[in-house]
Amino acid sequence: MSFAPRTWLRSGAPSVSLRAAWHYLPIAIVLLAWQLVVEFDLVDRAFLPSFGETLSALWEMTRNGEIGFNLLVSIYRAFAGLAMGSIIGVAIGLAMATSRRADEFFGPLVATTYSLPKSSLVPLFILWFGIGDVTSIVSVLLACLLPVIVSTYHGVQSVPPVIVWSARAMGTPHHLILWRILLPSSLLSIFTGVRIALGFCFVLTISVEMIAAKTGIGKLIFLYGENGAYAYMFGGLLAIVIVAYAADRTLLAAMNHLLRWDDSIHAAHVGG
Amino acid sequence: MISICVKHLNKRYRAKDGDVAALADVDIDVAEGEFVTIVGPSGCGKSTLLYILGGFIGADGGIIEINGKAVTGPGVDRGVVFQEYALFPWLTVAQNIRYGLEMSGAPRQRCEETVERLVRTIGLQGFEHRFPRELSGGMKQRVAIARTLAYDPKILLLDEPFGALDAQTREVMQDELLRLWQATRKTVMMVTHDVNEAVYLSERVLVMSQRPGRIVQEFKVTIDRTCEREVTVLNKNFNQLRNEVWLAVRRQAGARSV
Amino acid sequence: MVERADAPYGPIGLAWAGLRHCYPLLLVIVAWELVARGGLVRALFLPTVTAVLEQFWILLVEGEIVGPLLVSLYRAFAGLMLAVVFGVFIGLLMARSKWAKWALDPLVSFAFPAPKIAFVPIFILWFGIDHLSKILLVAFTCIFPMIVATYHGAVAVSRTVIWSAEAMGTPEGKMLYRIIFPATKPHIFSGVRVTVPVALIIAFTAEMIAGGGGVGAALMFAQRFFQTPTVFVYILIMLATGLILDRVMLRLRHWLIPWHDESA
Repeated sequence: MSFAPRTWLRSGAPSVSLRAAWHYLPIAIVLLAWQLVVEFDLVDRAFLPSFGETLSALWEMTRNGEIGFNLLVSIYRAFAGLAMGSIIGVAIGLAMATSRRADEFFGPLVATTYSLPKSSLVPLFILWFGIGDVTSIVSVLLACLLPVIVSTYHGVQSVPPVIVWSARAMGTPHHLILWRILLPSSLLSIFTGVRIALGFCFVLTISVEMIAAKTGIGKLIFLYGENGAYAYMFGGLLAIVIVAYAADRTLLAAMNHLLRWDDSIHAAHVGG
Repeated sequence: MISICVKHLNKRYRAKDGDVAALADVDIDVAEGEFVTIVGPSGCGKSTLLYILGGFIGADGGIIEINGKAVTGPGVDRGVVFQEYALFPWLTVAQNIRYGLEMSGAPRQRCEETVERLVRTIGLQGFEHRFPRELSGGMKQRVAIARTLAYDPKILLLDEPFGALDAQTREVMQDELLRLWQATRKTVMMVTHDVNEAVYLSERVLVMSQRPGRIVQEFKVTIDRTCEREVTVLNKNFNQLRNEVWLAVRRQAGARSV
Repeated sequence: MVERADAPYGPIGLAWAGLRHCYPLLLVIVAWELVARGGLVRALFLPTVTAVLEQFWILLVEGEIVGPLLVSLYRAFAGLMLAVVFGVFIGLLMARSKWAKWALDPLVSFAFPAPKIAFVPIFILWFGIDHLSKILLVAFTCIFPMIVATYHGAVAVSRTVIWSAEAMGTPEGKMLYRIIFPATKPHIFSGVRVTVPVALIIAFTAEMIAGGGGVGAALMFAQRFFQTPTVFVYILIMLATGLILDRVMLRLRHWLIPWHDESA
């Protein structure tokens, strides 16, 4: 998905790494501008440490393991909640799409809680579970649940009836229809929901850690911010932005591979 | 031996202000090994009839028997080919063709051999590991037919199988279907809006009325199918019969002048 | 696909249908009340429904509901408006100009999956603890989904529509304004509808983290002093706000873009 002016492309086939460099060049320009703006005192250093300072702070935190530890804690919480939320979400979505009763039961619950900002439950969870992993994981689980339920439901609902009919005409027993026909058919939808949930899982984890936690990258950023060590705060921020980006790209790559048979995935291209 | 027996078949649909009758009192008998086509104006219910025969939707009255037994649901005795191909997009060509056989628990060796044979029959060697999205419409329909033939159902139900194809591909596919039927002599019931196709392929053409659909006319087709398409299509008898059927359908569609 | 048995019409029939529709919610409320009353859980953790309703009334009368709610809503909407205006502009720009797309594409790609709530400390540092920091954080977070939605809508405008306009002599400036923008309105609206809850969440969460007034800050305050019924009240307020706003968005859609299929 690289972009270059037409004339440059026409002059030959640029190699993959050259293409990537061109694609990310705007970011390099922004970082350079950041560095220069601070170096030439266009902005008060108290408010904005330079990119260089941020990098060295990040390096220091990496060396003493601070970043590694806190990132791992946050990633553990985020992914544990995401995994559980996704699995339960797919199960509920499947149930709602195939059983009238499940739809009648879960439907109103889903429609109502959809509009509830899950972070509003954090103070309640702190009250119930205290400050620790459980609060984070439960918050993330709930936040990830809904988008996955909704996208699974829509995916299964949109399976063309002739596909199910063909499967039944070819002797597929009832219990296999779900597993071998409905699920693969709705995979694109499900993955789209999981991608949304992926975004949520980081937001909720950071939110919980900033509201009240002992460890985690959110807590790290918050603490350094409170204490005025802004280079370190920016360093932590940079770390989590990179992690979130990498996670998103990884999921996209997995999607593109697992869904290489899907027609519409080759048309869709999300995320700008 | 009567393969398909339909007597007094009725089907109604619920609508906001009362019921809509889709099929009313349909009577059809199809003998074993016969190729029968149903034609009729748009919306007359011919596809509905096929879906009932396939066991995908239920009837509201009447008898539907396949080989003497009542139809209670879809089954491997009736292979179905839909207009939209209905291939499983997440499976390759070979996996699609193999699917029905796998479901019946056939040993792997037999599956492999059957798939290989069918792929050759439909002329898609080299495409076994492609996904349906990489195939053209005609290729997809070939895979759909091969998939249905793989587990050897006695009866084939075809719902406008070539409706989504362009005119030239359609002609090629019609000839292939004819060849396959002549080789396997399965019982075939096809539904189509293309009168030309109906007369070209089948031994009997049944004309269905406007909604609520019932069979109103029957034509026996006795053309010589051993010749090339050019000879058949330009033949006087063929054209005369085709025109008669076409007029019959037009009449059902409500054309005043006939 | 499946035909439902005809429900009897008339007021009783409708009431029965309504009941069937929301029985899970009633079940939850009843279960909640029973568990709380039955003493299975301490009142500190789960107050009774009646206690929550009482507290709601008290807070309402004391002005602790409307005031903070208006503050949060103001911040959320101001930020959303900024995000919509700039996001739509940037999205349209990226759709029409190759250079704009090249320059902004990677930035949007990085920013989109990033948890922008992590920027709360920075925004507090730069813009203080009151309205401005929250508004700008909401804007910062919401601009990206708006850009993406607008961009996708704009590039989806059928090229034959654009060619027709070009053939009829539409200059570039007018093209954006009279053709592309109207054609993209449904996508923009979908983007706004999806982003409204995001704006609320960011406003509430930023208030929970950093304080400075609003429902989020009030919620944290109540939690710190273990005033559980108040905590529940504010949670329900947030829930109700989200629900009402979604309904409003649906109505608005019908009013603003009646020509689009989905507005029916």
